[in-house]
Amino acid sequence: MAGLANVFGYGAMTNHQNDIRNSRSIMIIGMNPAENHPISMQHILTAKEVNRALIISVDPRFTKTSAFANKYVRIRSGTDVAFVYGLINIILANGWEDKKFIAERTYDFETFRNEIAKYDPDTASDITGASKEDLLWVARTLAENRPGTVIWAMGGTQHNHGTGVVRTYCHLQMVLGNMGVPGGGTDVFRGHDGIQGVTDVGGGPETLPGYYGVGETAWKHWAKVWDVPYEWLLARFKSKAMMEKPGFTVARWYEGVLLDAKELGQEANLKAVFFMGHSTNSMQQMDRVKKALEKVELIVDIDPFVTNTAVLPDRKDGIYLLPAATNYEAAGSATNTNRDLQWRQKIVDPVYESRPDLTIMVDLAERLGFKKQFIHNMKGDWKGVPATPMSEKDKYVKALPEQTIEDVLREINMGCLSIGYVGQTPERLKRQQEWGHVFDIKTKKAVGGPVDGEQWGLPWPCWTDKHPGSAILYRTDIPVAQGGAGFRAVWGPTAPDGKTMLSADGSAPKDGPTKGYPAQKDYAVDLTGESIKLALAEGRNPYGNGRARFNSWNIAADPFPIHREPIHSPRPDLIVKWPTYDDVKEHYRVPQPYKSMQKPEWVKSFPLILTTGRVVEMEGGSAPQRTSSWLVELNPEMYIEMHPKVAADHNLRHGEMCWVETPEDMDAKPSRIKVKVKITKRVGPDTVFLPFHWGGVFEGNSLAHKFPEGTAPFSIGESANTVTTYGYDRVTQMQETKTSLCRVKKA
Amino acid sequence: MAQAQTTIPYREAGGPQGKAEPARMKFYVDVKRCIECGGCEVACKNENNVPPGIARIRVVTINEGEAGETNIAVPCMHCSKAPCVAVCPVDALYHRPDGIVALNKETCIGCGYCLYACPFGAPQFPKGSAFGARGVMDKCTYCAGGPEVAFSEREKRLYGSNRIAEGKLPMCASVCATKALIAGDAEEVANAVRQRMAARGAGGGAWGWDSAYGKGL
Repeated sequence: MAGLANVFGYGAMTNHQNDIRNSRSIMIIGMNPAENHPISMQHILTAKEVNRALIISVDPRFTKTSAFANKYVRIRSGTDVAFVYGLINIILANGWEDKKFIAERTYDFETFRNEIAKYDPDTASDITGASKEDLLWVARTLAENRPGTVIWAMGGTQHNHGTGVVRTYCHLQMVLGNMGVPGGGTDVFRGHDGIQGVTDVGGGPETLPGYYGVGETAWKHWAKVWDVPYEWLLARFKSKAMMEKPGFTVARWYEGVLLDAKELGQEANLKAVFFMGHSTNSMQQMDRVKKALEKVELIVDIDPFVTNTAVLPDRKDGIYLLPAATNYEAAGSATNTNRDLQWRQKIVDPVYESRPDLTIMVDLAERLGFKKQFIHNMKGDWKGVPATPMSEKDKYVKALPEQTIEDVLREINMGCLSIGYVGQTPERLKRQQEWGHVFDIKTKKAVGGPVDGEQWGLPWPCWTDKHPGSAILYRTDIPVAQGGAGFRAVWGPTAPDGKTMLSADGSAPKDGPTKGYPAQKDYAVDLTGESIKLALAEGRNPYGNGRARFNSWNIAADPFPIHREPIHSPRPDLIVKWPTYDDVKEHYRVPQPYKSMQKPEWVKSFPLILTTGRVVEMEGGSAPQRTSSWLVELNPEMYIEMHPKVAADHNLRHGEMCWVETPEDMDAKPSRIKVKVKITKRVGPDTVFLPFHWGGVFEGNSLAHKFPEGTAPFSIGESANTVTTYGYDRVTQMQETKTSLCRVKKA
Repeated sequence: MAQAQTTIPYREAGGPQGKAEPARMKFYVDVKRCIECGGCEVACKNENNVPPGIARIRVVTINEGEAGETNIAVPCMHCSKAPCVAVCPVDALYHRPDGIVALNKETCIGCGYCLYACPFGAPQFPKGSAFGARGVMDKCTYCAGGPEVAFSEREKRLYGSNRIAEGKLPMCASVCATKALIAGDAEEVANAVRQRMAARGAGGGAWGWDSAYGKGL
């Protein structure tokens, strides 16, 4: 997300899944939609059949998606930058780039061209393992079949330079002029149906809702929305500096428990950890997570199921499991990967003792003494919340009424002006739900009825309660009133080198000014909405009309992405030429070493590349899926995918057990797991693959006895993340789970 | 045995045949679309409460992990000239007027002839019982229940749901993520397949095309 935001302005998928039906070429890289987004395959395969779109699958594994591709290119895990820049090198050498688009709508192509020169076909082929012929074929196919889309997911982002990888995908689409057109775009598929929404409302530690950051302006804006004095918010923090400092991330919070407090970016160690709908087995270095869970004073795990977190630590006290309701037991809106909002209805009342997340949060706010402020905003209190303090009768209220969750969405509508979360009111979402049948499958646009002209899901930015939403971002061939836009003018009117950051004359959304313009003053903080309306009245996009950046001069990583060998690289020769970053003293409050962790000698004792991923029957930490007998029957146990040659060399047969061991990194001894061998040619002879969904077994020992009675899932198994190793993105601290090194041994 | 009160889907009189007659219910599995997500398998089990070890539909993958990897969902194909119906010694298997191959579990003697006759592996027998006794056969009902009063407890227990009597299609086809598994009257299924093949052009991805006409066509 940080990668996209640093190039275009918004950190989200630019087009939508249905729009893939308009594509003429589809490059799927670091992504396996046949397993992870099965419904999207309907659109991808329709494009293949109806448009004769060519599908290119680029992946270290021959996935179920690769089986449907016209071309499969196997690359070494963690070499995406070299692969994509290798393609751009060929495109530029042949003059296949979109010169008009580059001149009018991008910034600093000249320097970019020099950077690209480093990735000639020989270099790119050497780094990635893809042949020069394949590189040429892919480059030519993308150039000859426009518009084309690039689709990726965690295979692109889970690297030490993941933000760089994402920016290279964006650069490829900019060079080809595939941005802002139906069938084009940079289509990152988010991993869950609501995860785009989680990011939008400030799920990350570096921002308040709506990507405002955590600076003083951001706090003051939200203080106004919440109708609380800024000073009251400030007084709740230790200091202003701590208030404006990004917190720990989900990737490395445990170091806040384990490391000496002197090494941290805060005075004290973490004392409590609070999980809501998160499973620890989806996070890297789980052996360290286990240690932290044993050391921390308090653990609260809020989930419909008993997760891996509950059974992992060896402790008897200080761990609380609160039963949460599922999405079927509460109403509310969810924001999917297309930036679409959809209203969900409650199907059943919460079962047994479970309660919806919102009820738990309101209750928690009451116990912590700020319920009055929590349920309040500038339009008044959320409706339907029992009075403060709750009466004895109300105390055990299981679920708040639907009008409360509607008011929560209205609060989001009030405050998240920056990304145009304004027009997705509960009333409009419910009306769309009723009129779902009038929306076109290809354009997602309604024809007729009270929703006439609206985009399905009112994808943000949706500037007012009359705006139809923006299904395709950065599209200049339609007016702003219909969802048109240029790139976001978020970095000011000029770059540090003095060049303009506003788009050239002739490149602007229809029916407005014909050239670039800066953002409307105060559009993101004017809570009356007048600034936004003023811009719209003149046919201008409130966020301005700027240029997409080849050069992200203000990013913590490289201004132009550079190929960085994985921390655990199998190529000592390339570590010399393409090393990882210098060590970072503090990143999200923890020290983050890079070069000192990258050891060229590891490959001698750990010769295989280890990569992880998802399977279709499971999802994330998979506590719900492993508790479903139907799904467990289809995929009953944890396994390792291994090429026949690797298996034979280790004297392993299909179905036998083996140990997988990875380097010690930050611990005293190598981590290891015991898993069943699956022999397959999905992986090459240099790579092994682990699905990361299992939990409940740790280094060969079952933890089944630790589940509360009757709650153990049907299937438990070793967690892949027990053996995944150190390595984090320079900008987002995303874990480098897609590339590590390991060795296997017969068990 | 309860008297059958079957609800049979009918073709409209305006169809190519020009007369109202029972529909011919068919499945078609598009091998160029099936991604082996397993949605049909899980939906079937959930809808019909199928016990573990019995697969009324399952997805088979060939050439896994190699070029030419192909998936195909295999339910009962409800053959017009069904070998299982031909070999059943007690006529427990029979054709309904709409072509669905139905089973009467109370007539079935568990001989297993159908198991050997069926080219698709549709007949299922409980596994793991003592002395290898097969028990009564179970198979895909096309979500049309069995020869019992529609929606009765008894029908539900023996055969599962009866979506056909509700005017719906089988659950597996209804949930298919990529519309690889399509179900309905043979005329409509054939139309859908014809449109897809026309869009795909020569070869069309029809299953068996390569062996019939050679590659490269």
